[in-house]
Amino acid sequence: MGRLAQGDREALTPLVERHYRRLYRIALGYLRQRDDALDVVQEAFVKAFQAAGRWDGSADAGPWLSRITVNLAIDRWRRNRRRGQTFSPLAEGDHLEVLADRGPSPDRGVLRREASDRLGAALQELPERQRAVVVLRHYQELSLEEIATTLGMSLGTVKSSLHRALHRMRATLAGSES
Amino acid sequence: MIFGHLRLRRRVSLLAAGLVSGRERELALAHLAACARCRAAHDAEHDELRAVLTALASDPLRSAEPPLPAGVLAARVARALDAAAVPAGRKSLWLVALPAAAALVALAFVLLPSVQQRFRPEPVAARATIPPAEASALLSDDALARIERNLAREQAARYLSEAGEVLVTVAATGVDCDRKDDRLDVGAAPERSRVLLEKRRLVVDEGGEAVASARGVLDDVELALRQVAELPACVKRRDVELVQKDVEARQLLMRIRLMTRELEG
Repeated sequence: MGRLAQGDREALTPLVERHYRRLYRIALGYLRQRDDALDVVQEAFVKAFQAAGRWDGSADAGPWLSRITVNLAIDRWRRNRRRGQTFSPLAEGDHLEVLADRGPSPDRGVLRREASDRLGAALQELPERQRAVVVLRHYQELSLEEIATTLGMSLGTVKSSLHRALHRMRATLAGSES
Repeated sequence: MIFGHLRLRRRVSLLAAGLVSGRERELALAHLAACARCRAAHDAEHDELRAVLTALASDPLRSAEPPLPAGVLAARVARALDAAAVPAGRKSLWLVALPAAAALVALAFVLLPSVQQRFRPEPVAARATIPPAEASALLSDDALARIERNLAREQAARYLSEAGEVLVTVAATGVDCDRKDDRLDVGAAPERSRVLLEKRRLVVDEGGEAVASARGVLDDVELALRQVAELPACVKRRDVELVQKDVEARQLLMRIRLMTRELEG
């Protein structure tokens, strides 16, 4: 990050290699659309490079990049909502890619896909920040303290957000099953 | 007492959601042991939330792999940074500067016969038109050999750089040209690949020892360009991904960058 702060483009590739997959999963967990998630991650690295001069260098770059990614995912979500494009279940191929090595049964694959779509719909019902907390906790397995650092929230707010989010999702999922 | 119970009730609810740890968790568990009503509430809430936690834990998107290799994304980011660095208003300046630069290059070709000969299709015959005696009158043999070597290396560097641009264009394309059939637009990349493949003989054969260190990269670049040259302009996503995987597996973009730098000295 020090090299990046001095505008060294060569520092970009190792940074991307190190954080790309993790940031992609955050964006995908939030937006649940592959192309949007990829755009968001690309934009996050551009913003990180442009803002690297203002980064104090004392902290790990991971939470900083995660925060940029979450904020951009929220922006993208708002933009999609304004255009009337909110949640749409992932395309067949998107699921097949990640399910390919999970088992031979096509029925099982279909069930998992349906479960994932229901889960996606329940996540999209959450308020923006609550959804971010759920994604960081359950898709990145961050500790509550790490989530607080990443999102700039107090620990208490993270706990109450997650608590409310889980109950709200339970209600949505129960409704979609009945 | 009632307030204490309410506070602990809240903590028990957080416990059911897996959100307390350490001392707080110990207190909640101790309260559960002493309060049957709270224990029943905790168990019920825990059962309710289990379905959500299980669904989250088994979501396949948690382990989804990004659709592009990291190197390709890094190239995209670099291009986006380049685009952001040139303000839109400066494009008009380029429109003026480019013809002027082209005119200067044309003038250089007219005034420098050795350069002109170098870029003709039949360079061996063309070089013979420069009388050796005349050339040696101006420069020593060693100096001429050095210039020849530098020109060959510069030409190879330019070739690799152009090939790298073509491969990045293909690898980073995300523009749909036929959404229904899941096809992507690779623009002029196949045509540019064919032109570069024609140039290759000139670069490798004429370069000789001067570009010997680049032979491995040049060979791999040739294979990749042959793949691209066979693509139509509107190509199936699967075929683009095959090229991407091949480029990534050979670490070709990085090797091109390093070799170009080495050749440029």
